[in-house]
Amino acid sequence: MVRSKINHNNTGYWFIAPFVIGFLVFGLYPVYNTIALSFTDTTLMKADSNFIAFKNFERLFADKTFLTAIKNTWTLWIMNFIPQIGIALLLSVWFTSNRLKIKGGGIWRMLFYLPNLLMPAAIAALFFSLFSFYGPVNQFLVRGGYIPEAVDFIRSPSVMRGLVVFIQWWMWFGQTTILIMAGMTSISLSLYEAAVMDGANTWKMFRYITAPLIKPVLVYVLVTSLVGGMQMFDIPMLLTDGRGSPANSILTNNILMYMKFRSSQGHIGAASSVGVVVFIMTSFVSLLIFYLLREKSDEKMAKGN
Amino acid sequence: MIKNYTLATNITRFFVYLILVILLLLTIIPVWLLIVNATRSTIEIQQGISMMPSVYTITNYKVLLSKGLDLPRGFLNSFSIAILTTIVTVYFSMLTAYGIVAYNFKGKKFLYSFILILVMIPMQLSIIGFYQYMVKIGLDDSYAALILPSIASATSVFFCKQYLESIMIQDLIDAGRIDGCSELGIFHQIMMPIAAPGAFTLGIFAFVGAWNNFFNAFILITSRDKYTLPMLVQTLRGDVYRHEYGAIYLGLAASVVPIIIIYFLFSRYIVNGISMGAVKE
Repeated sequence: MVRSKINHNNTGYWFIAPFVIGFLVFGLYPVYNTIALSFTDTTLMKADSNFIAFKNFERLFADKTFLTAIKNTWTLWIMNFIPQIGIALLLSVWFTSNRLKIKGGGIWRMLFYLPNLLMPAAIAALFFSLFSFYGPVNQFLVRGGYIPEAVDFIRSPSVMRGLVVFIQWWMWFGQTTILIMAGMTSISLSLYEAAVMDGANTWKMFRYITAPLIKPVLVYVLVTSLVGGMQMFDIPMLLTDGRGSPANSILTNNILMYMKFRSSQGHIGAASSVGVVVFIMTSFVSLLIFYLLREKSDEKMAKGN
Repeated sequence: MIKNYTLATNITRFFVYLILVILLLLTIIPVWLLIVNATRSTIEIQQGISMMPSVYTITNYKVLLSKGLDLPRGFLNSFSIAILTTIVTVYFSMLTAYGIVAYNFKGKKFLYSFILILVMIPMQLSIIGFYQYMVKIGLDDSYAALILPSIASATSVFFCKQYLESIMIQDLIDAGRIDGCSELGIFHQIMMPIAAPGAFTLGIFAFVGAWNNFFNAFILITSRDKYTLPMLVQTLRGDVYRHEYGAIYLGLAASVVPIIIIYFLFSRYIVNGISMGAVKE
């Protein structure tokens, strides 16, 4: 076997060059620009702008609306994430159970995943129509005699919050199930066989074999869902009037950022500062998750055996 | 003992199926109502819920057009953006990933860890700076601003790298070199055909992502004739369409039905693609 004498390794630079250039131009510079803007009073309406140091950030933290947005985003994310991971774990255990032998696992999964691919803007508008005063949900409830008269769901903060949580859950539980199942099916069957020999029950097998071994997948799901959840926009934006109504109940970080961006003056300096704060918060929490859920050395040894 | 065990299993199984059916109904009913209502007249919709399609699709479509909602235009805009984004994403991500997998250049490890960090950066941190920068160079309100950033899609490169590593055959590359192929020629003529299934899977995700993308277009695009489907969907909530329920549902259905069709055609690729990258084989 004669290998070519020429060293081709440096050709690799040509292959990655478009990515690196594309990243510098469309990735890194905009990030730098956003951070730089967050320290200025730039608006879209006037040509000059001034460096104002941390003024945007001071104003932001003094602003009750911003704190509401942060609180809402966290609430909406946690409220949908807990049932999402719960249902996904249950479904994964059921689908992979040798005892239950659930039929058509692939088809169930495929159908549960469908909402994830649908356009969030259309889904939000759909649920707005379904829950509007003359919409099908009111029709169903009134005609079925479940409620005496139609309810104005769109103006109820708790219903709207619940609806955002439900839609987010609805769009994501299928994807989480697929990920967790992929983690579970990669666990060697011999581990379970050994556990059955030792007299372990279903719960013990889940607790001591499945749970520790799917931890990397769980961390992945948790962090990607967190990063996505902190950017929640389309659903709460289009479910009501685009300003987080009623009573700021579904105002999220990104809606607030958009509102500052599209304000009459176009305060892009202030809008950037929202992005920067949310980024710092998200990174901090993600790193904390990685740190708290890191693989401890004794677990690694157990895996090695 | 054995009998009890089977009985308990059967009871559990019953409840499992019950919950699966409930989840299935929750998943399907909103989508089904959307599609069915797109075919029903506003009067029918107001009269009550039905799971059966009707015959008013064309009427609804005419109402939409008469209200100034250029659905075909939005469809074409979204389709052009999605298809171009798909091509750019797949080609450049494969090219970058191939460069990382096939060559041992200096700084490769650093570049790869850097890409992994990039995956974590949210668009919140770049979109406003990106917008202002596009205004400066005159690319705001242009599709280029929506498509070109896909040259450097960190998540896609990550996906391609995982995929290429699993199918890489060094001997084929060496054979190509002996036959006098250029390095880029090897990538185009030898690697790409082998990597086609992975490229296809990535392509579906890129297409769906671009088709559904609302936020970036909403920030960057201002001319009415350049509106994408999700932007048109957003206008459907306006007063012009008040009480034109059939037309509203049709507008919404037009934006989700193409994706549903793609999904049912290629669900195998999609479902397998989701867990790639998350779970190390």
